[in-house]
Amino acid sequence: MRRSVFLLTAFFVFSFFSTSTALAQIQVRMRVIQASNAGQNVDPSLKDVHHELGSLFSFTSYRLLREESLRLSPNQPATITAHPGRFLEVNLVELKRDVAKLRVRVIREGKDILDTQVRLSPGRTVLIGGPRHGEGVVIYALSARF
Amino acid sequence: MLLEKYFDQEVTDTERSLVDGHLPDCPACREVLDSMEELRTLMKAPVEEVVRKEDFPWVWQKIEREIGSQKKRTWWQSLRSWLDMTPLLKRKVWIPAVATFMVLLFITSQVIFKRTPSYPDGSVVEYVESQSDNVMVYQLEDPKVTVIWLFESPEEEATTT
Repeated sequence: MRRSVFLLTAFFVFSFFSTSTALAQIQVRMRVIQASNAGQNVDPSLKDVHHELGSLFSFTSYRLLREESLRLSPNQPATITAHPGRFLEVNLVELKRDVAKLRVRVIREGKDILDTQVRLSPGRTVLIGGPRHGEGVVIYALSARF
Repeated sequence: MLLEKYFDQEVTDTERSLVDGHLPDCPACREVLDSMEELRTLMKAPVEEVVRKEDFPWVWQKIEREIGSQKKRTWWQSLRSWLDMTPLLKRKVWIPAVATFMVLLFITSQVIFKRTPSYPDGSVVEYVESQSDNVMVYQLEDPKVTVIWLFESPEEEATTT
């Protein structure tokens, strides 16, 4: 009797925690945007953030260079080529209900030029900008979907 | 047959008037009716005697006492009696079952109701570091945007452009 109770308890505990682990995953949308003052063009696919970009920066042109949808699990970093010579590493450090703690590293020639940790909640966008690209700069736009 | 129904007052009005019209001219039917009346009198007397002797208030008091004793049972007694109804429960299987349930409830409640620390909206960026360049953090609440801006030094800009 005791053995069967123990096995039953172990089964429930195991199945509960395995389900929780499987659910601890988020989808991060990452867009690499080139912002410049060459021209007046705004990429149609950036219409949803054009207003935000316009209120924050004084660039006249925004072009989408790359868009990635990353499915992140805790401590399984994803690396993408942001633009020539630079890599972006995104790692889900912690996920608590509606807040995802992300570590973002911008790597150039094997060196971290930026290392940051942010708390991303649904509806919030984190923009990491500044690295030069062509006539303008590159802005990485990160948002999470839970 | 009709006479029996007449005696038991189960006839219709038409049947009654028919029998009433017939009886004065039929001594045989009158005799049958009289014998029925005699039989009823004979049976009624002993029954009434028994009923008279029976102590009905005492029976009623007994019933009331029985109902009263059932009402006074505590919830624990009721639960026990309910648990004892099933042979499976008589074997006390419910003790480890309840214990297992309580353990599971405790474990799951710890995980489900674990309080998430509420982060103030003003601290989206936990830390930011750059080995080579200056960094500025700018945050807006409407729209909900946080900007981390990296100021690349001129020689680095030259290598990338």
